[in-house]
Amino acid sequence: MITAVKKAPVLRFSWRSPQWSGTLSVLAGIALWQLFYDGLARTVYFQAFAIEHFFVSPWQVAESFVELYQSGELVRNCYFSSLEFFYGFVLAVGVGVPFGLLMATRDKLNNFLDPWVSCIYATPLVALAPIMVVWFGLGIFPTSVIVFLGAVFPILLNTYTGIKSVRQNLIDVVRAFGGTRRQVFLKVMIPDATPAIITGMRLAVGRAVIGVVVGELFGAEAGLGSMVYLYSERFQPGPVFVGIVILVGFGILTFVALEKLQRWLSPWYAYQLQRQVQGMEME
Amino acid sequence: MTEIPASKLIVQNLRKSFRTQHSAEPIQVFDDISFEVRPSEFISLVGPSGCGKTTFLRILDGLIPRDGGTILLDGKAVIKPGPDKGFVFQDSSLLLWRTVIDNVILGLELQGISKREARHKAEQYIAMVGLRGFEQHYPHELSGGMQQRVNLARALIVDPQILLMDEPFASLDAQTREIMQSELLKMWRQTRKTVIFVTHQIEEAIYLSDRVIVFSARPAKIREIVNVNLGRPRALAIKRSQEFLALADRVWTLIEDEVLKSMGREQEGLA
Repeated sequence: MITAVKKAPVLRFSWRSPQWSGTLSVLAGIALWQLFYDGLARTVYFQAFAIEHFFVSPWQVAESFVELYQSGELVRNCYFSSLEFFYGFVLAVGVGVPFGLLMATRDKLNNFLDPWVSCIYATPLVALAPIMVVWFGLGIFPTSVIVFLGAVFPILLNTYTGIKSVRQNLIDVVRAFGGTRRQVFLKVMIPDATPAIITGMRLAVGRAVIGVVVGELFGAEAGLGSMVYLYSERFQPGPVFVGIVILVGFGILTFVALEKLQRWLSPWYAYQLQRQVQGMEME
Repeated sequence: MTEIPASKLIVQNLRKSFRTQHSAEPIQVFDDISFEVRPSEFISLVGPSGCGKTTFLRILDGLIPRDGGTILLDGKAVIKPGPDKGFVFQDSSLLLWRTVIDNVILGLELQGISKREARHKAEQYIAMVGLRGFEQHYPHELSGGMQQRVNLARALIVDPQILLMDEPFASLDAQTREIMQSELLKMWRQTRKTVIFVTHQIEEAIYLSDRVIVFSARPAKIREIVNVNLGRPRALAIKRSQEFLALADRVWTLIEDEVLKSMGREQEGLA
């Protein structure tokens, strides 16, 4: 009998849906934060300890946001930071993916490069940042290098693992038809490893955002990281939180966008994961 | 004077051993396997678990190298895999990122035939395996039986000289398996392909085959070649006939012997 497996029904809006619960949770958190601040502001401690220099309410963060936006400072900082992120991240993809592919398919090259990958991966970025500024001066270049160093290894290592874990069965299918090594690579390895490569990019986003902040710590003309340092030194927590919120929001958006890309490029991947879980249950 | 039809496939003194990390001595998988297959013959290979049936089939295809012996397909030595041999793998060997039709055309695509031309040709094979209307579905939208139909169409489209099938129905439920068996026979009658079919199911082997080759336990040799003198076409009901059951019983006894022998050997090894 021929029956196709039914597709999952389209999700309708529900008050119990995970998206709604998540939004509700964040809104409740912000509301609690505001209430806590307002409560604190009524106490004697507020004046006594000059708390407005250490702590802000969400409302004040919003006010700072508008001020920074109107002065043009925010746009300029966002522009610099996104350039750093963009250059560093694109370079990390451009280097991480090809090197991951090469190292997974050429054992000799892998033996040769593996110690270097391990060394640089283990080096704390914060320790490298000052020397980057010494070498490359102020501006977006040294920070882009830090972003690159942070992002390249998750991408490289996931690409490597993705290629290494391509099922032999599928490789044999192409070989059985007389397919060449090149055809095995293009028709099986690349499509099968695509979800893993994108997972590498998703993991790299977090490290790249850290790279932006760390890079700007040691000297930058502008940027969200340098904005955060500047205003914390002036004991003005409003703009500090504006910077943090934007960095977090940017990280989340990029992460989610890559997840969408993964679903779009490899819609079969969710099914494979599900089957692996079922397989484990059976054993 | 009657002409004796040339053998489609000749296997002579085939040997294979594996080296493992656990023992210094290489493990002999099989030794001195020889047999001949006539054109359009349906041959099954059965034997105790782990006797190297799958390894043997992969060597026939040229997917893994042999230690010695000759394989001649249409008089030509088999050295590497190619489109002259169609290999039907065990389950889950479809490319999950390709639709049914694009999975079927893989073999043609690898030969450099344009996708348009290949897709045109694929329609006929998709119809033959009974999947018309499912061309644009993805493997994960299909049941296990349907996936194996795609697998079969994929092997047939390159018009191979011989079809090598490695336990293709092993993961299907009993009902689907029976249907697939009778459909396979139908397709075999249409295409007149020579088939080597590896299975661990004795009744499946007998139902499908002209001859059943029974392997011994490792190191495997041919224990016996059992002729299946049942008429064709065969209805599924033949599985309940006296002749069928007698054949099944005979093959069972041969394999049981081998399993007991190999267990005895393992006991000695432990002692």
